[in-house]
Amino acid sequence: MSKEEAIKEKLINKFSYLDGKVNVQRVRRIFTEVDYVNFLDVFVYLKENLGFGHLCTITGLDEAEKMSLIYHLADTAGIIVNLRTSVLKENPKVKTVSNYFPGAQIYERELIDLLGFKVEGLPEGSRYPLTDDWPKDQFPLRKDWKDSVKSSMKNTLE
Amino acid sequence: MSVVTKVVNWARLKSPWILHFNTGACNACDIEIIAALTPRYDLERFGVVLKATPRHADILVCSGPVTKQIEDRLIRIYEQMPEPKFVVAVGTCSCSGGVFQGCYNVKGGVNNVIPVSAFIPGCPASPKAIMDGVVKLLLSLEEKE
Repeated sequence: MSKEEAIKEKLINKFSYLDGKVNVQRVRRIFTEVDYVNFLDVFVYLKENLGFGHLCTITGLDEAEKMSLIYHLADTAGIIVNLRTSVLKENPKVKTVSNYFPGAQIYERELIDLLGFKVEGLPEGSRYPLTDDWPKDQFPLRKDWKDSVKSSMKNTLE
Repeated sequence: MSVVTKVVNWARLKSPWILHFNTGACNACDIEIIAALTPRYDLERFGVVLKATPRHADILVCSGPVTKQIEDRLIRIYEQMPEPKFVVAVGTCSCSGGVFQGCYNVKGGVNNVIPVSAFIPGCPASPKAIMDGVVKLLLSLEEKE
């Protein structure tokens, strides 16, 4: 059995609700989806028990009625588990993972600024990557965002 | 014009020290600027020396569109330069914002933030174009004096 299949089996044995949701797409790439209520269990299990000690990045997605997150976790063999989870768009509240991966802070600040996620438990800090005077309720990477700031840009070259 | 100012002007034109500042470029223009300074193109024969601080520089060479984050920093750097100071915008983005024009995080060309003396378009601007622009700027200064 390949390494990827072994990880898939361990995940399904531990969490029965993952049955049929773990997909080994190709060599060293595993995709899985989990409801947000169970997300941290799977996340912590991957980190503590299966050796996925590196969080490559977090992808944020705006999918109309819900907002999705993909946590890309890697181990030393180069296997990446793409753990996907969703929250409702009206209240896109997630818990921070910066207590497991301190480096996740910067990804989570980006999620807050650009997509309007609410991350609970994130330490106080300056905003990133938008400027300090950026309006608090404007999230430029949301699909329904209209640029009202753009009109302030004039090009004096004309 | 007194003899002293004449000598000062002559010295200034023969040793335009530059500061290279990336205002949000993709790095292509930066590499071309570095290439222009290397022995193959040799901008140094015009007395151009790359300085590490704005306080020593006469010319600010900017590359890339001005992002909203870099705007304050660009103004601060510009104000640290001693008079007389000149700004050269290298690359299409630096001249007008280029493909980034209208992006939520971009302010547009360098001329939207600080006064610019020379525009060098190109994506990226080739070392020859950069040299041409710098020499034209120096010649225009010579004519003024």
